[in-house]
Amino acid sequence: MAEVMLEVSGLQAAYGRSQVLFGVDLTVRPGELVTVMGRNGVGKTTLLNSIMGLLPPTAGTVTFDGTDVTRARTFQRVRSGMGYVPQGHETFPQLTVWENLQVTLEATGRTDRTAVDDALEVFPRLTGLLKRRAGFLSGGQQQQLAIARALVTRPRLLILDEPTEGVQPSIIREIEEAIEGLHRDRGLAVLLVEQYFDLALRLADAFVILDGGAVRHSGTAADLHTDEVKNLLAV
Amino acid sequence: MEALLSQLPIGLSIAAVLMLVALGLTFTFGQMGVINMAHGEFMMAGAYTAYVLQDWTGREAVLAALPVAFAVAGAMGLVLERAAVRRFYGRPLDTLLLTWGVSLVLQQLARDIFGAPNVQVRAPGWLDGGVRMFGSQLPYTRLFIIVLAAVSALAIWAYQNRTRQGRRMRSVMQNRQLAACSGIDTGRVDQLTFFIGSGLAGVAGVALTLIGPIGPNLGTYYIVDAFLVVVAGGLGRLRGAVIAALALGLLDSYAEFWTDASLAKVIGFAAIVVFLQARPQGLFVLRSRALT
Repeated sequence: MAEVMLEVSGLQAAYGRSQVLFGVDLTVRPGELVTVMGRNGVGKTTLLNSIMGLLPPTAGTVTFDGTDVTRARTFQRVRSGMGYVPQGHETFPQLTVWENLQVTLEATGRTDRTAVDDALEVFPRLTGLLKRRAGFLSGGQQQQLAIARALVTRPRLLILDEPTEGVQPSIIREIEEAIEGLHRDRGLAVLLVEQYFDLALRLADAFVILDGGAVRHSGTAADLHTDEVKNLLAV
Repeated sequence: MEALLSQLPIGLSIAAVLMLVALGLTFTFGQMGVINMAHGEFMMAGAYTAYVLQDWTGREAVLAALPVAFAVAGAMGLVLERAAVRRFYGRPLDTLLLTWGVSLVLQQLARDIFGAPNVQVRAPGWLDGGVRMFGSQLPYTRLFIIVLAAVSALAIWAYQNRTRQGRRMRSVMQNRQLAACSGIDTGRVDQLTFFIGSGLAGVAGVALTLIGPIGPNLGTYYIVDAFLVVVAGGLGRLRGAVIAALALGLLDSYAEFWTDASLAKVIGFAAIVVFLQARPQGLFVLRSRALT
């Protein structure tokens, strides 16, 4: 069995006094695409925010590349190779597309522009929009920028929270293809939260189903077709 | 017509003072949303810096004090941010009380160190005299303040829009979580932003020594005006603060010309109240899809 890249164990998290995660275990191996599924409000986004340190966990550990990052600040995790695309096509709205990518490049401390060029290669549509303010792009374009921004940090693990939510159908396809290409062709490890069962079915090497803030079911791609999984995901 | 124009230099110089005291707030209040009541005391610290430097530099104190006051007030701001304010981000009312308390402590500290009576900083010799403009005398000290305000505003604009640090600051202020997700150490950016904002208060304080005596209460005279300018200009908008300062300064001078000093103050406040009724967001509002 290959080494483990991301290991989450016994992770608990709470917003104030209301606990959302009750001990979540999860592993991502290098080059693997793991999808986190579950209905609305089961704690998927909370899980990703805890993994990234945006919401400090109350218990449990997060290990990345053999290093315990449970107490690391978010920017340190990013610099160590965890790329994160939060839910809802987040950008710096008053900065131009170019500035969005540039500020990220500068934050990583690198001076060569290849990371930006590579990201634009994944989303060529952005190349023509570099001088536009991010806040004026369409939802789909903003989401492409959001993923491109994460790619500029040169992640070894890309964490995506519902990347196709609220995106026009024509661009959904492009985003899916981009994720697929990054995973298949470049061997990028991906942790994906996605509502669309089809996408998960097509891409995932392994899956985790959350319910009530805990892992209800997990397995490899082959296990995805069982009735139990379909029942758990039925809304 | 002559009389009307004669008020222009006076209005401009009032505007320049307003602009200087408000520019620092566009960082701490405008960008970071921190209501720092001690901002006025950072001005006071800048003014006393010039007073102290006088012993070494004589009449050139004002020029020498500009960078030193920036560093002194900036360092005070940095300590305040690290020690207290950062624990209260997102809690504006608590921050207001906290920094108000700090401002009282700083005033008392100044009283203990420098004494309660006002002190004087002598302006440099090359600022003696003045220039006649539109039939009224504009002292060189006022002209110096106008130039200083313009240079400061330009420098801030360049910092925000033309430097890496400025770009980083804007990204943190627009989307803090995403900035962290882009590898930006948001805490460091907060420190630097607070340092610059507070340092600018120190620069304003030095300028204030040119227009009157300074005392422990110096900050309290200007803090309200400074916040008014920033709010009327639209939070975090440099251009807004500059225009609001100009408008208020000119309004003040003309209102005083036609009525008297205290009524001018009332007219100024009334104008802002009416203006904010019509445009609660201030002169310039950030517009984008993300915010609609």
